[in-house]
Parts: sequence; C-alpha cells; structure tokens
Amino acid sequence: MNGGNEDNFKELFERFVGPEQAGEGAEDIFKGEQILRENPAPGPSRELIAGIKSDIARNLQRRRENVFRRTRYEVAAVAAAIIVAATIGVQVFERGWGEHKAAYGSIVPAAIWDSKNISVDDAGLALLTARVDEMENEISTLQKDKNGNGDKAVEELEVEFIEIDSNFSMGQLLWM
Amino acid sequence: MTKGNSLAAIIIGCKNGDAECFSQIVDMYSGRCYGYFYRLTGNGDVSDELLSELFVKLVENIGSYKGGVFESWLFRIATNIFHDHLRAKQRRKRLFESFDIQKRGLEPQTPEPKKSEGEITDKLQVQLGKLDDGTQELIMLRFYSELSLKEIANLRAEPIGTTLSRLHRGLKKLRELMG
Repeated sequence: MNGGNEDNFKELFERFVGPEQAGEGAEDIFKGEQILRENPAPGPSRELIAGIKSDIARNLQRRRENVFRRTRYEVAAVAAAIIVAATIGVQVFERGWGEHKAAYGSIVPAAIWDSKNISVDDAGLALLTARVDEMENEISTLQKDKNGNGDKAVEELEVEFIEIDSNFSMGQLLWM
Repeated sequence: MTKGNSLAAIIIGCKNGDAECFSQIVDMYSGRCYGYFYRLTGNGDVSDELLSELFVKLVENIGSYKGGVFESWLFRIATNIFHDHLRAKQRRKRLFESFDIQKRGLEPQTPEPKKSEGEITDKLQVQLGKLDDGTQELIMLRFYSELSLKEIANLRAEPIGTTLSRLHRGLKKLRELMG
C-alpha cells in the first residue's frame, strides 16, 4: 500500500522549515507509514466480493431494463403524438382551409330600401315629417300674429325645432 | 498498455455498463477501500456494509466521473459514505439518549455492531483509536488512497501545508503510541 504516490516529503517540508527539520519530518512520516505497512488491515472476504459483483450485475441488468422500458415509452409517446397530429392534419385538409362562409345582412329594412317615397313608407319618418310640418305651421301662424307676445313663443318653438332636428340628424347618423 | 490507459479503458467500459469492467474495478480497489473503512470503523461487519455501499454508489455515479485521478474520485465517495455512517451513528446515539434508555435498564449506548467471530482487534487499531477522528481519517486516506499529498489537500479543500503538518503530527504520535 502507499506505493503509488511519489511525494518527496523532504522537499515539501523544506517549503516551511529548514533542511534539518525537513529531513526529520520526512523520516517521521516514512516511519509512521512503515507501521501501517507492517500492520495490514484485514481484507474483504471472498463472499463479500462475490456478493458485491453479483449486486453490480443485478443493478446493471435493472438499469438496462429501465432504460429499455423508458425508451419504449418514449417511442410510444412520440408515435401517439405523430398519429394524433396526422389525424388532425388529415381532417383539416379534408375540410379545406379556404372555405370561409360569410353572411351579409343589411341593417336597413328591405321595404324602406326599395321604397320610392321613403317619407311615406317609413312610419317613423312620416310621423316626424308630420310633426315638422305642424311646427312650421305654428311658427307661420305666430309670425303672422300681431300680438307682441308672439316673439317668445316663436323662440321656444325654434329651440324645440332645433332640438328635434338635431335628434333627427343624430338618429340618422346612428342609423347609418 | 500502461496502468493509466488500462484503467481508462476499464472506466469507459464501466460507463457503458459493462459488468466485467465493474468487476475489475472491484478487484482493483476493494482491498484498499475495505482497509480504509476497516481502520476507520474498527469493525468488519460495518466495513462490509460500507464497501458494498461504495460499489453501489460507484455504479450509480460512474457517469459523473469526468476524468482526473480516479482514486481521488473514488475515495471522495468513500469519505462521504464514512461521514454518512458517522452521522447516522450520532443520530442513533442521540435517539437512544433522548429515550433515556440507561434508566430503563435497556441497552445503554448506540448498539455497536458486534465484532465478527474470530475478529481480533490488533494493536494498531487500538492505538489509532487514540488519535482524533480528523487525523485518523487523514492518515488512512493518505495510506489507502495512495494519492499524493497535493491531491489529498485538494480533496480535503485545505492548504497543502495544513495537510502536511497534520499528517506529520498524526504519524509521529502513532509511532510513539506503538512504542
């Protein structure tokens, strides 16, 4: 034992102490290790070594089986993934990528769209037109009135008219 | 083929899961590793267990060996196994103490594995027991691993001067004890 290393203890000691002490130190180590060489420890029994080798062989066999099983599972998983991907792909191609069905619709009722006189055919618009006409008449009446109180009434009617007109315009915008 | 090349080829075989190569490693190192464990524990049965554990770990971890001095790698595992053994022993001891077994008249101490039949504790083993654990471990590591002092210092993560000084003190003391 201990024949493998090539330490020169004297040199090592000389890094830290003088040459004389280094020599003594190296000799102490040599003689100390000589005691160990002269008193060898018992060795392992043959049964133990055989048991260890047998355990190693079993361990390696188990590892090989595990690797094989893992590889098999991995291959199976990859194959399953490929099959699923292929199935999905075939279904998608069978349906075709480009067939997008588009639905068109109009928010304007067809009757109004085709109408030749929209202010008659659209009930809402007809009502509004009538109301506007009525207000126009009222304004005209009031303007003809010789009474001085007519100015304020006209003003109120004008405001109301502007408001209705504004709502109507907004409604048209929203409608469009 | 030189010893180094031959060992390298065997290790490659081990990495490839070749049982024959592992068998060669067992033949090459079991004596030294057993001696290391035996001198540290002073018990044949425990040494048997630790040696078996060492080779189980060797098989499990051979993939992590990335070159360098193989003995250094192997004895690092052996040292860790020995330290684990010491920790387990300490835990058992604490457990027994916490149950205050002495008062109940049961086994007073950690049950040390009994010596194998016909096992005789030699004088060296007795005198080694008088050294402190760290020094004893260093002397055994140096003797059985056959590593250079520099490699041992690296393995123990300490300056080479410290390793040299401890080894010198320990061996000198052992010499005195052995008379």
